[in-house]
Amino acid sequence: MNGFLFNPILVKEMRERFRSRKTVCILAIYLLIMGGIPLGFLLTDTLKAEALGENRNLFLISAAIHYAMVCFVAPALTAGAISGERERQTLHILLTTQLSPTTIVWSKLITSLAFSTLLIVASMPLYSIVMLYGSVSPEQLAQLILFLAVNIFFLGSLGLFCSTWIKRTSISTITAYGIAFFFVVGTGLLFFFIGEWLQQSYPDMYPDQGVWNLPELQVLAGMNPVIVLFGILGESLDHSEQLAFSPWLFFSCTYVVLGLLLVVWSAYLLKPIRRRWWSWKKASGRVK
Amino acid sequence: MVIETVHLGKRYGTLQALSDLNLAIEPGKVFGFIGPNGAGKSTTMMILSTLLEQSEGEAYVCGYNVRKDPASVRQSIGYMPDFFGVYDNLTAVEYLEFYAGAFKIPARNRRSLVADLLELVNLSPKADAFVDSLSRGMQQRLGLARCLVHDPAVLILDEPASGLDPRARIELREIIKQLREMGKTILISSHILPELAELCDDIGVIEHGKLIACGSVHEVSNRETGGSVMQLRALRNLDKAALLLESSPLVNHLEEYMGGFRFYFQGTEQEKAELLQELMDEQVAVVYYGDAKKNLEDVFLAITEGVGME
Repeated sequence: MNGFLFNPILVKEMRERFRSRKTVCILAIYLLIMGGIPLGFLLTDTLKAEALGENRNLFLISAAIHYAMVCFVAPALTAGAISGERERQTLHILLTTQLSPTTIVWSKLITSLAFSTLLIVASMPLYSIVMLYGSVSPEQLAQLILFLAVNIFFLGSLGLFCSTWIKRTSISTITAYGIAFFFVVGTGLLFFFIGEWLQQSYPDMYPDQGVWNLPELQVLAGMNPVIVLFGILGESLDHSEQLAFSPWLFFSCTYVVLGLLLVVWSAYLLKPIRRRWWSWKKASGRVK
Repeated sequence: MVIETVHLGKRYGTLQALSDLNLAIEPGKVFGFIGPNGAGKSTTMMILSTLLEQSEGEAYVCGYNVRKDPASVRQSIGYMPDFFGVYDNLTAVEYLEFYAGAFKIPARNRRSLVADLLELVNLSPKADAFVDSLSRGMQQRLGLARCLVHDPAVLILDEPASGLDPRARIELREIIKQLREMGKTILISSHILPELAELCDDIGVIEHGKLIACGSVHEVSNRETGGSVMQLRALRNLDKAALLLESSPLVNHLEEYMGGFRFYFQGTEQEKAELLQELMDEQVAVVYYGDAKKNLEDVFLAITEGVGME
């Protein structure tokens, strides 16, 4: 473990990333946006003693913007991790060292996640302003942090996978955003479309709001980050009366597993010589 | 054998990039790989470097099968691709330390190892310079130092001199000579054939994925060009000499050379004497008429001529 944490790619990537001016600029812009929102809120909705503990809007807006920033930043940070090495013609050299593709992939992911985590941690003090308005429990805040961390991991893994799969960074980035869009928006739309369609097509089977309590639809709702985020914030977007499971826990487990699968797949794709799991020749018996 | 390929082949879809390649390189030898662009040199080198899987045959480096034991092969080779990039935000020392770490060299040994390598490639004064600030020649030498961090027995250098100015080429050539003296086995490809002739013990000529000649420079040149390469220098009537030589069926590849001509002569000693007599009869003021040294370009042209037209 100690060897992995101090592996040369981690050291090099950290050194390269935190030495560059771009990093400081990204961090500054991020904090400026994240700090500008509560500041604007304070200017338009002056803090009054009698309103303390009653205004949840700032928390909702801050969390939503925070999530949007994660969706924007996490895939972008990893979508060039491998393709960037390929483009600057350093990947082949890296693959002839004693570093395994798995180590390379994990190291790339961890360094990108470290930066994303830095963005989250650096913006956490801004939540003190949110706490000033109250109406937010520490448990909600902890759930929100976990939710953001899971999203960073999954979207980072997705970007890394696209970067390994696709040779050009620009195309890899667009693909990563496209797939992320499906998970963030597509699953939600599917949830509502299927629900509405079932309700309108089979009104006898699903009277009132019963359709939204179908386990299949609840699973789909639990996979949609926006629905889960609003669940954490105490606002319900879906119409189900009660979910059979804790949505944020289901979401976290599902997306951590998906992220792990993407990392394993990326490591497999990065291998120059891959073990063939299936071959048409073998299947037809042409190879001895 | 340090490098051995047995019926090695590589297909990209319907394109046969490499076909039935049999190579055997002895320890401590410098083997020059010659061929036009797209002949299969880089493909062979990538297979030997475990970066590409062959479609047919087997390849071994230091006795390790490249397909079955890639980790051992990687520990035995230093690979320098024809084009490679560098990490912009690292200094030369950090760059080499990174690769030393990638080859699992203990941290306590890295600093002295890197200092030695920088000295070997004459880059000690640039140790703390950012890699992207180095000239192309310096980056190439740094790349060579990078190949040596784990002290491999074999160096695979794909066009190491491409894009370098003459001075940088000479510096690189001197370092490769030093490595040869250190006992490294080197597989090198280059378009600059005179340099290969000076460096290499053996050469292999490859075209359209097939090895069409292999052996020492001397053996290959005698076997493949046939006859001798002659040189003629004269003070007067060079135009008459040119007409005479062009009309002779025994003369091929006539070219102007150092105030005279250079040509292949495919005839006996008697015929050689008769040709000289004819030149004298034409009042050509001959000051030198005799054998010229064959160079690798002659050999390469003689071997590859016509094959590409099929």
